[in-house]
Amino acid sequence: MSTNENSKVPQNETTWVAPKKTLAQRMKPYMGFYLMFLPVFIFVLIVYYWPMLGVRYAFYTYKLRDIHFIGLGNFAKLFAEKEFWSAFVNTLILSVGKLLLNTFVAVIISVFLNEMLNLFCKKFVQTIIYLPHFMSWAVVAAIFTLFLSTSSTGFVNETLKSWGWIKQSIDFLHSKALWRPIFYMIDLWKETGWGTVVFFATLSGIDPGLYEAAELDGATRLQKIRYVTMPALSNTIIIVLILNLAKVLNIFEPVFVLYNTRVLEVSDVISTYIYRKTFLTAIPDYGYTTAVGLFKSLVGMVLMLASDYASKRIRGRGIM
Amino acid sequence: MKKKLLSLVACAALLAGCGSSNSGGSADTPASGGTTNENGEYVLETLNITVDGTITATVDAGQAEFVQQWEEAVSEKIGHPIKLNITQLDHSDYSGTVSRTLTTGQPGDAGYPDALIMSASMLRQYQTTGLLWNLANAYDNAEFQSRVTLPSINMNLRTADGAQYGFAPTYGNGCVTYIKKGWLDAVGKTVDDIKTFDDYYALLKAFTTEDPDGDGTNKTYGVIAAGFAKLDEAPYINYMPEFWQGAYPSFYPNKDGVWVDGFAEDATIDALKRLNQAYKDGIIDPDTEEAGTKQAREKFFSNDQTTSEGVFTYWAGTWLRTLTDNMNKNEVKNQNGELEELVQLPPIKEIKDTVGGYINREAPTWVITDDGDGNDAREQAIFDALFETMLDGDKVQTLWTYGAEGVHWSTEAEEFTLNKGDAEKEKTYTYEAGQFHLRPNPNDPNSLWKKNHLDAVLVIAPLTNGFVDNDPLIQEGNAFFTANCVDAYPAASSATLTDYEADLAEAKKALVNKAVVGEITPEEAVQQYKDEFGSVSDTIVEELNSAAQ
Repeated sequence: MSTNENSKVPQNETTWVAPKKTLAQRMKPYMGFYLMFLPVFIFVLIVYYWPMLGVRYAFYTYKLRDIHFIGLGNFAKLFAEKEFWSAFVNTLILSVGKLLLNTFVAVIISVFLNEMLNLFCKKFVQTIIYLPHFMSWAVVAAIFTLFLSTSSTGFVNETLKSWGWIKQSIDFLHSKALWRPIFYMIDLWKETGWGTVVFFATLSGIDPGLYEAAELDGATRLQKIRYVTMPALSNTIIIVLILNLAKVLNIFEPVFVLYNTRVLEVSDVISTYIYRKTFLTAIPDYGYTTAVGLFKSLVGMVLMLASDYASKRIRGRGIM
Repeated sequence: MKKKLLSLVACAALLAGCGSSNSGGSADTPASGGTTNENGEYVLETLNITVDGTITATVDAGQAEFVQQWEEAVSEKIGHPIKLNITQLDHSDYSGTVSRTLTTGQPGDAGYPDALIMSASMLRQYQTTGLLWNLANAYDNAEFQSRVTLPSINMNLRTADGAQYGFAPTYGNGCVTYIKKGWLDAVGKTVDDIKTFDDYYALLKAFTTEDPDGDGTNKTYGVIAAGFAKLDEAPYINYMPEFWQGAYPSFYPNKDGVWVDGFAEDATIDALKRLNQAYKDGIIDPDTEEAGTKQAREKFFSNDQTTSEGVFTYWAGTWLRTLTDNMNKNEVKNQNGELEELVQLPPIKEIKDTVGGYINREAPTWVITDDGDGNDAREQAIFDALFETMLDGDKVQTLWTYGAEGVHWSTEAEEFTLNKGDAEKEKTYTYEAGQFHLRPNPNDPNSLWKKNHLDAVLVIAPLTNGFVDNDPLIQEGNAFFTANCVDAYPAASSATLTDYEADLAEAKKALVNKAVVGEITPEEAVQQYKDEFGSVSDTIVEELNSAAQ
């Protein structure tokens, strides 16, 4: 349509200045598209942007009908709260710890699977390790709580006792020393299999010619992993780490279903802190919990920008 | 980059904003309301109520019929049609959802309740907020007053200035200690042997070490409960009264009427020592620490008794029937192969006639939300339609007590058989025309329906139509509790307590758990509490005592 008109460009391009069109003039040729987009735009405004107005309550006291502006009062309270900083540190430790562990183990398993020659065996192992990912965290927590219980129904403790390895049950999920390792272990069990998908896809894409060349050069199996497989995976590993770094503050469900009052010091994360302050308080101050949420979002934004920057430096393009 | 930054700020704001938009009510529930008729009188056309799990006629168990019959009966009584909408919330998160509903809505909004159920603790927290209607006058002038047999229940809800924000149609009820009779027989004891804490402790030990289930192993436990203490809900100690004895881990008025913080007292240290010793001796099931009431009771009547417990302290009356039925359903048997029974343990010497024994908790209440317009017409209309009829002694009270006619109960001649085909449990019930009887439970056709919301035995103004469920087990349970209970302390209420209640409960729970399992000593638990919350506790005690003067 307008393409034909635009093609009538004068020969002397240096002297011709196109008349400036208004927004309406520029939109007019595509009015049909804009009309089609309108419902989506309205939907986005209502569903995504309307709730953003609630962010103002971070600067209010909001308890039942007592709603009044207090400026940065909620943030002052937040920064003075020992419990909040404990949750903040725990969030970083648990999230980053599980990210590094999951990635490391997923890489190992992917390489191992890649080396597996028996196709049936490979598929079987893949299926087995993918399955836990599809279980809800509530179910996973129920299973492991039962497994690790100190009661006579606890499989692990009763088995260890029957073998004579221990005399007293080990309180795995209530011990401050053991809770984090157990948490990482359960998370590994559930999520590592699924985490191998990306790495395995990368490995499948490695040019077989590289392995043949390495073989001709007399490389052993371990040397092929060291000099062909790992360099090919390194970019993917970095990307996975960068992409997940931006999400580290969002950890909630796995902690929520596994933590308890005795291990709060090592397990409470920002999201569970917000949950308790909002949902377990008789008359909560929504202003305060909104402030905590806003702070968490701002830190998340900083992490995302950092990830974007790191991605640009390493991959040459950002993640946003 | 600027655009990206802007969009990120927007995203961050979105995330935080989402967190603040909460709604507890059902969006499907229409707005309540009424109109003013030609005589200038307020006419309540729609009534929205929010309830917890104590209404047992749920949507899956005949709630539609209950609502229909309520609307017919109440419309006839008040002289115009009225529609009832029930929002039944998840029982375990009831107070949280109510808080969100009352925060985000107002009278007239869809889902905002005209009336709702509140525990005694909730009532104390909300009665100073201005959200609830002072129903003292309406209560004093209610028609049912002439039939009220327990006036003190509602009088105790009144504030120092005579205001009353909650209406309690029943008294509170409480817990008693149940023991599996088969296990008692197996260890050669009777309930009469258990007179003191030492006797009780010896019994628990026997249940742990003398293989009461006869499976050849010692994997059983003496006792299980929903937590070593229920520190977020008064009366806190009712699930393990024998261990807590005189200790009360919250604020209470002492014998001189002075409010004190019970958690900071030496009695709490003594209670924690008893619990710690029992935990060390392996007679308390370790699952107690994290168990909710459902998990605890299901383990108690589980069909696998090899890892079960012999003692369980739980609600009196109807629950004696429910626990027994569930044991029978799971075919829990004694060592002679007979269906297991429960016996009730009279309070041991240390807790008899003390608050620390079988506590009659403060009654749960109904409240009416105030629209704040300065005119009581709407609120009085709600009182008349809901509370006045709830205790009419006749048709509507029967609905609240037993449920819907023809669904939950009947007076028609009929015969039905439960557990058909099971030689041991099959039982046929035959009734003549005019004979009141409960029908099979819509949720479980192999057991009889027990009750709806009001307990016929606990209600403050009894039914006048003669409809009585004569289940001897329930009657025995209620009589036992009534004979052995003591009234709970009044729930504490102060501005600081409302602010810190969740923090205090969480900290106390952590300290109690740590002390019981031996991570810290009982003395350290109490000291840590004083160190962390001493000043808060002092402020609360000061506020409570100021208000009492």
